[in-house]
Amino acid sequence: METPTADDLLQFRDYSSTSATNSGAPAQINVNSPTHASGGGGGGIGSGFGGAGGHSSAQRQRGDPLADLIYDMSTSAQAMAGGGANNAQNAALDGSGSGGGGGSGGARLSFLTIEYYQQFFNVDTYMVLERIANSMIPKRASGNYLRMNIGENPDLYGPFWITVTLIFSIAISGNIASYLHHASDGYHWHYNFHLVSYAATCIFLYANILPAILWALFKYSLKPVNEADAVETDSATYTPTLLSLMCIYGYSLAIYIPVSILWVINISLLQWLLVITAALLSGTVLIAVLTPALRNSQFSLFLIIGILSAHVVLAAGFMLYFFHNPPDSPVAYMPLPTAPSVLKDVTQAAAKAVLPGNQTH
Amino acid sequence: MDAKLDMFEDVNTSPSPSLEGDMSIPGKRTTTTTAQNGVPDYNTLDEPIRETVLRDIRAVGVKFYHVLYPKEKSSLLRDWDLWGPLVLCTFMATILQGSSSADSMSDNGPEFAQVFVIVWIGAAIVTLNSKLLGGNISFFQSVCVLGYCLTPVAISLIVCRIILLSAQTRLLFFLRFVTTTMGFAWATYASFIFLGQSQPPHRKPLAVYPIFLFFFIISWLVLSHN
Repeated sequence: METPTADDLLQFRDYSSTSATNSGAPAQINVNSPTHASGGGGGGIGSGFGGAGGHSSAQRQRGDPLADLIYDMSTSAQAMAGGGANNAQNAALDGSGSGGGGGSGGARLSFLTIEYYQQFFNVDTYMVLERIANSMIPKRASGNYLRMNIGENPDLYGPFWITVTLIFSIAISGNIASYLHHASDGYHWHYNFHLVSYAATCIFLYANILPAILWALFKYSLKPVNEADAVETDSATYTPTLLSLMCIYGYSLAIYIPVSILWVINISLLQWLLVITAALLSGTVLIAVLTPALRNSQFSLFLIIGILSAHVVLAAGFMLYFFHNPPDSPVAYMPLPTAPSVLKDVTQAAAKAVLPGNQTH
Repeated sequence: MDAKLDMFEDVNTSPSPSLEGDMSIPGKRTTTTTAQNGVPDYNTLDEPIRETVLRDIRAVGVKFYHVLYPKEKSSLLRDWDLWGPLVLCTFMATILQGSSSADSMSDNGPEFAQVFVIVWIGAAIVTLNSKLLGGNISFFQSVCVLGYCLTPVAISLIVCRIILLSAQTRLLFFLRFVTTTMGFAWATYASFIFLGQSQPPHRKPLAVYPIFLFFFIISWLVLSHN
């Protein structure tokens, strides 16, 4: 490296510093956070966040506010500094920067590769369990859960496997319920495989169409924002992404899995109690989690009522169609019912259910 | 002047410049072939079909053995094949299918195609899931392992079918239940041994749960068959 002359020092010139020292780059925020310090400040941050996409041991904890702040500041600083002055630190960040860039979505992956879909499965076991617990217990999630936790890292693992588990648990428990109902009759019970198809259709429609409708409603019913209120605009124009909504709805179905097993017990009162409890719990969680987005919508009350009633109708529909076997109607063996007859049966069963004394053995 | 092109030929031994020889590959020669006179004796790649089929059957048999006694795991993963899964799936689907012929309210069990779809598409989805979570196993290796691990479930299906031959009592139902549970546990344990290493460390339960669900559903189909 040449020794700088007086003329050089008087000029405002960028020195190409060596890779060992990153102090030549002007707009670099060098923070040596203890969790990420490994071989130099800039390189430390780069390698710390380069592992975000994969499963290395240096993966930062999402949701840790200090780490979020550092990450935000360093990425914005790198963005501001631009390409020219960053050649030196690019050399240091080279190996980890590409990982960091891909992890933060900088690299444009084709949707035909499997790596594109891996970003939706970027969850660990404890995160999935956390999200399931957050979906069952109201008020457990923090206030900005939708935006910060789910919004940053929506996953498709939870929704997909919860819906598949729910389909099969409803089909299996429905068959067990009808078997137990007819066990004492001496009726030659047979397995009804059609239940799987009906359950699958219902649940997939609910878990996919409803978030899409909700997303569209949120997007196009934003309250007009007063531009003078510049402080609030960011959160006032927030609408959740489609993936976040599908994630929320998928996890909200998790409570129905143990409930569907309990629905086998053929006591009508208990079944209705379970419906109400489960729908109330997960409905409350849904409303609580969606509050930041609901606040910005013009039809907030209408949306709240819509979300809750859809949830209750789903739960009641499951219970009535698959599990409710009043003693005087052979309800479990309809081979391919059409929609009007299903509706008629459901309303008939509901009418029978409100009559007192509907106890079975 | 006679311009002769000398091609390093020994003029004494080859009477004519034509080329002749034998097209057999030097080395291994199968001694079990009964080649007729005049028919050339092809070996290795063109061995008799019996040899080829027996070799493949032996490979499949070795894999079945390794699934039933899961100690050494490399052979299933290294030379995967899909013969075993196909045989098992066809066998199970044939037995499990409900007959729609006798009367309309008789066994409404799954159709042949439904069992087929559940097994193959289920194995594909489970494999896709483990790949998306970051596992480093190839697609067909995983489908191969999942298919071969159906062996205990198929054995429990055979036992249940035998139990079903006599009149049903609660004891016999309990016996079927125990057999099916054992088959399910054995299948899950075997597949966990084979596929366990290839999952990323923090996500092992996430990858194992779909395998558990897959075998649970198939065992349920076995148990509810009557």
